[in-house]
This record gives sequence, structure tokens and C-alpha cells, in this order.
Amino acid sequence: MPDTETALQITDDMRAQIGVESEPWTYEVTTTSVRMYARGIGSEDPIHYDVDFAKQQGFRSIVAPLGYIGTPVYLPGSNDPTFGFPRRAGGPRLDIPFKGLLDGGTETEYFDVICAGDVLEETSHLADLKLREGARPMLFITNESVYKDKATGKVVVKQRLTSIHM
Amino acid sequence: MTHQVFFEDVHAGDEIPQLRKNCSTQQLVQWAAASGDFYQIHYDRDFAQATGLKGLIVHGALKNAFLGQLLHDWIGEGGQIRRFGCSYRGMDEPGQDILCRGVVTKTYTLDGRHYVDLDIWTEKPDGKRTSPGTATVTLPGRA
Repeated sequence: MPDTETALQITDDMRAQIGVESEPWTYEVTTTSVRMYARGIGSEDPIHYDVDFAKQQGFRSIVAPLGYIGTPVYLPGSNDPTFGFPRRAGGPRLDIPFKGLLDGGTETEYFDVICAGDVLEETSHLADLKLREGARPMLFITNESVYKDKATGKVVVKQRLTSIHM
Repeated sequence: MTHQVFFEDVHAGDEIPQLRKNCSTQQLVQWAAASGDFYQIHYDRDFAQATGLKGLIVHGALKNAFLGQLLHDWIGEGGQIRRFGCSYRGMDEPGQDILCRGVVTKTYTLDGRHYVDLDIWTEKPDGKRTSPGTATVTLPGRA
């Protein structure tokens, strides 16, 4: 029997938020955070751990494993306590009645290598909304983020993240 | 350090060296701390089951990072990742093998750079692909 969750529609108000650019947020890449991420994926490549080795290979410092684009600066009350992402002004706000949440996909485009010591500035916007009807309807939300080197303004990474709400 | 692969040695249809993973719950917690993603379905079994899951599941973005490691380990220090990504079509559980694989689909040279396109994916022990995706890397030439 359908419950209230199945009543979800993508409204004009929701669609109007597509493309609305967020305020920027700072992401930090440190030697400790790079090593933690490398441990998390189970890599033993010294390029992620040994600063001297990484410099001998021509890098500024140890290299961030692929998938790691820094850690958002955490300010109590300003970041999501479960996921850590910033709840900043200017970004899209969606009221989603679904309780279930899963990763839908990740696409990352690299324009430079990320190393410890880098400080990035990220902005994001809602890129797409899709509703899949069925016995258990699912809402697909895709956000696009651009990460720039805070010092130079150069684009380092573009990323699309899709989450599935059901 | 990895052996350097060169563009001239790579052809469409080639499979790159596989990467086998098997996540303990400890690894899921380690990755949660490193990524900042503390969603409870990855370490709190009761919470996971209350959301309708059978049990704990591996983070989708961790599988994406495994595919990143697959590519990183293959391209060596002379290669560069241009883009990679995957969608999460199936769930993987801790304690179960996750096989990361990639097959070259196209090789081409553009503006003096040597590009390689690949299909990449994670695979369960029964062969089911849980995270299919694609990637583009550049490799050094021998010349």
C-alpha cells in the first residue's frame, strides 16, 4: 500500500534550485589526512606516506590518494554532523521525506595532482533531480562541485556526486 | 613502487592488473574517519537493518577510491589520471572479496598526450559487477 513517501513530486521550486551556486567552503589537505585516507583504502604506496620520497619523485609533498579531495573545515553548527559536508548559505535546500540514503555514483575529473599542504576552495550546485517511480520510489540527486587552489584560483578537480534517497 | 607502463605497450582489450580488496569493519571505520562520512549503515548493524538493509555495507565512495587505487597502481609515477568514476549498482559487504578490474577500451594521442580510456568496475566473488564505471588516463611514451 502506498505510504505518504510515495507522494513525493519534483516541484517547480525544487527544479528552480538546479544550478544555484553555493557559497565557497575551504577544504584542507594535510599530511595527517592524506596518510589517514591512504590507510583507509589499504594502500601501502610510500607516495602517500613518506614526504621525502614524494619530494624525490617531484611532488610538493605526499600525494592524496584518488578519491580524496581534502577535508571540509568543520565548524560546529555549520557542518552536517554525520557526513561532515558544509551546510552553507547560498546552496540548494531540499526537503526530502525519504529516510533511506545510498551513494549513487561518483565522477571525478582531475586537472592537477592534490598534495598535502594544499588548501582548496569548493563551490557546488544542484545539477540534476530524477524521480524513479516504483514499489519503492527513489529520488536521485546529483551535485556538481568545483575545487580550486585557494592561492592561485586554478581549478584542480571537478566532481559529480549522486545520492539516492528512498 | 610500480613498474612503469608505457603507452606503446597498451592496446584496446588489454586487462590491467587486478586489485583484490576485502574490507574488515575496522577498515570501514578507518575510511569513515578519513573521509568524514560517518553514516551509520557502515558500522552500526542495528541501524543498517533498521533502514531495510540486511547488514553493514561497504561505502560506495570507498569502492570508488579502490578503483582509483587500481588505476594509480597501474599507471605508475609517469602516468596521470584525467578522470574516473563509477555508479553504485550493487552492495558489497565487509568480509567479502571485492575484485577491482579494468579493461582498456581505446588508445589515442591528442595534442602530444597519450590517452587511454578504460572500463573499470568492482566485482563480487560471483562475478556480479557492483560498481561499473569508466576512466581516462595519460601514459608516458617510450620516445
